[in-house]
Amino acid sequence: MANFLMKRFLQAIFVLLAVTLIVAFAIRLTGDPALMLTQGAGSVTEADLMMIREALGINKPFFIQYYEFLKGLFVFDFGRSFMGGTPVADLISKSLPATLMLAASVMFVSIVISIPLGIKAAVSKGKWADQTIRILSLIGLSFPNFWLALMLVLVFSIWLQWLPPSGMDGFASFLMPAFTMAIILTATNVRLVRSSMLETLQAQYIMVARAKGLSENTVLYKHALRNCAIPLITYFGLQFGGLLGGIVVIERVFNWPGLGTLAFDAVSGRDYPVLQAVITILSMLIVGVNLLVDIAYGLIDPRIRTE
Amino acid sequence: MNKKSTFKTALKTFAVTSSLAMASLSFASTLTVSSPQDPGSWDPIDTFLVNWAAVATNMYDGLTYRGPDLKLQPGLATSWEQLDEGKRIRFTLREGVTFHNGEAFNSASVKFTFDRLMGDEGRKGPQRSNYAAIDTVEVIDDYTIDFHLKAADPVLLTKLAGYGAMIVPPKYIQENGEDFFNTHPMGTGPFKFSSYEPKVGIKLEAFSQHWGGAPKLTNLNYRFISEPSTAVAELQSGRVDLVIPPTIPIGMITTIEKDPNLTIATTISPTVYALRFNTRDGITKDERVRKALIYGVDRQAIIDSILGGQAAPIASFQSAISFGEDPTMKPLPYDPSKAMQLLKAAGIQPGTKLQIDIRGNNATFNEVSQAVASYLQVIGLNATIKPYETNVLLNDIIPAGKTGEMFQQSWGGWTLDYDNTAYFMYHTGEKWNPYDSDPELDALLESQRSITDRDKREEILKSIANYTSNRALEMPLYNLNAIFGVSKRVKNFTPVPDSRLRLTDVTVE
Repeated sequence: MANFLMKRFLQAIFVLLAVTLIVAFAIRLTGDPALMLTQGAGSVTEADLMMIREALGINKPFFIQYYEFLKGLFVFDFGRSFMGGTPVADLISKSLPATLMLAASVMFVSIVISIPLGIKAAVSKGKWADQTIRILSLIGLSFPNFWLALMLVLVFSIWLQWLPPSGMDGFASFLMPAFTMAIILTATNVRLVRSSMLETLQAQYIMVARAKGLSENTVLYKHALRNCAIPLITYFGLQFGGLLGGIVVIERVFNWPGLGTLAFDAVSGRDYPVLQAVITILSMLIVGVNLLVDIAYGLIDPRIRTE
Repeated sequence: MNKKSTFKTALKTFAVTSSLAMASLSFASTLTVSSPQDPGSWDPIDTFLVNWAAVATNMYDGLTYRGPDLKLQPGLATSWEQLDEGKRIRFTLREGVTFHNGEAFNSASVKFTFDRLMGDEGRKGPQRSNYAAIDTVEVIDDYTIDFHLKAADPVLLTKLAGYGAMIVPPKYIQENGEDFFNTHPMGTGPFKFSSYEPKVGIKLEAFSQHWGGAPKLTNLNYRFISEPSTAVAELQSGRVDLVIPPTIPIGMITTIEKDPNLTIATTISPTVYALRFNTRDGITKDERVRKALIYGVDRQAIIDSILGGQAAPIASFQSAISFGEDPTMKPLPYDPSKAMQLLKAAGIQPGTKLQIDIRGNNATFNEVSQAVASYLQVIGLNATIKPYETNVLLNDIIPAGKTGEMFQQSWGGWTLDYDNTAYFMYHTGEKWNPYDSDPELDALLESQRSITDRDKREEILKSIANYTSNRALEMPLYNLNAIFGVSKRVKNFTPVPDSRLRLTDVTVE
């Protein structure tokens, strides 16, 4: 097990290094931040621009800048934003919890809905309950999420005035963004749970469990669910990663003060330090979740530990 | 306690707290404003963003002040005189003014502000170049100060009313440091800083000792909302009272007008739109072709249909409130047959291709450029539209001279002086003039800069406008209004043309 973990951990470090290098390089292709800062100015001389570049530290060679960025990573120092000079760590420490809280509530809503529904559909395969669930999830899958978000705002904020249309401000403000993202994930998850459940229910040990006279719920939730958990956990884990990327759109629509909003502003403002930091943090999260998924495999299925 | 009594207590508590809330409402009046962007720093020398000004105009004062009527008035300076042929300006300062923390305002604060702007701190930021005319600032006594200029700058007095020239507190900055000041701004303005949450919002409170009198509101909250539909939803749900430009697209005006609680307030703005020409290469090198293109596009129809009348036609690249606008100039009329004649005379074959570069993120301008392309189709030209990411077009394509035959330029200098447009657009070697070089025009542009006589300067600026129009250096499209979405509970609101919105007289019901 220790060997297995070590291997996975080293892989994760390598992936992170590669990602930071690519990001640091790619973002510098987007253009000159000094030009960006002086965009509204009429007359700007090359000397003015040089002074700004020097102040921002982007006149140094690329590898020195990259080295400084890496060095800062270890002490959670991501430099300062080019827009206004706020320490990037301050910006991240406010927006990371906002994004994580939103992502976690999305996953929670989605899992809580999709596991019982998926099992119900699998058990009643071919009957009306199965058909209804499958059609509903197909409809859920076909919604573009920004459209769904706008519709929810129209109904719950403008017509009914029950929920705040944007911002992060208490429990009520979580409902619409979490539901919007969750509905699309749920659609996929229900189908996934249903199909892996169907497969598991064919197995002989299920027949044995039923023959032993165990209650249907014990059979389903204890025997069947645990055995089809591996593909589900893999999928939910990957989904969480994808979710962090997809959340940018939803954050923008709901003006959520998270990493997505931060990244969006940083891209349009050529704010290298902020964007570098956001992407590094996001990839750390995704790599971390994958690592956890790997570890969870080991816990659930003893066969993997020994491989 | 049984369930029923719990419910009763809850009700009672609710009644008490809500009546308390009502009581406090009658004392405090808060206006919530939606602004599209967080400038990241509230230091006057750090930014060019109009959304900085929309907030900061309430916190800071300049030596001069310019309100919604656009007339220059005394601010922290009560009077000034121009000496040495405009190369020295002597200001008499207002006495008894303090910053929000009680620090006294005097000539030392002014000297500190401008030494900082022109010195090491200012070098790091984008504002310095705007005040390059200032050489030194000399303290004469506590309330008299001289500005020595390298060269006369006729627009300087206006520039002192905003942005980098806002007076900052020396002691406060020296004691707390530059970083602290970025996120804890302080000036002498009618509202004082209360709290700031990056990417979320900034809150201000009334400063009752302001020299111009206490503001009528007690609190002023700004929320940063970049997505127009979100800002409008907040306005419709009553959580935001005012949406400031540039947020509301033309397409959403009717939504707001239909809402019984909301209204649209518009005013003329400095922002003008044009499709400028590549005068160096391709078919637009020929003046006849450029004129043909202008004759060939019905700009009034575009204003009436696509822009819903929220714009005015322009004859040169400036709005009607710009100093240097010539009201006797009329836009070239829409005349497709004349356009075709000119094209024929220039030897342009029907079906000739032409590229229009635009900023891709503006839905309204996308429609405008498509309309332009179809008008050009009518006179036999095959126009393709090339959308760019805004910053790429502005920073990498236009200054490098890599555009197609035509490219979008939107411009609106807050100083409302044609010099701040014309010099940058037409003078040889300027960033925004990648193609043209005209010695006669250069001479005109330079000559007006050293003149302090207002009337004479205006004459020269008008002649520049006429000159550029005669050479057809761009297709002037329109001057777009500044559009505000306002809740009807807001009273005494006057929309401002230049985003420098001071909300001292506004009240809420």
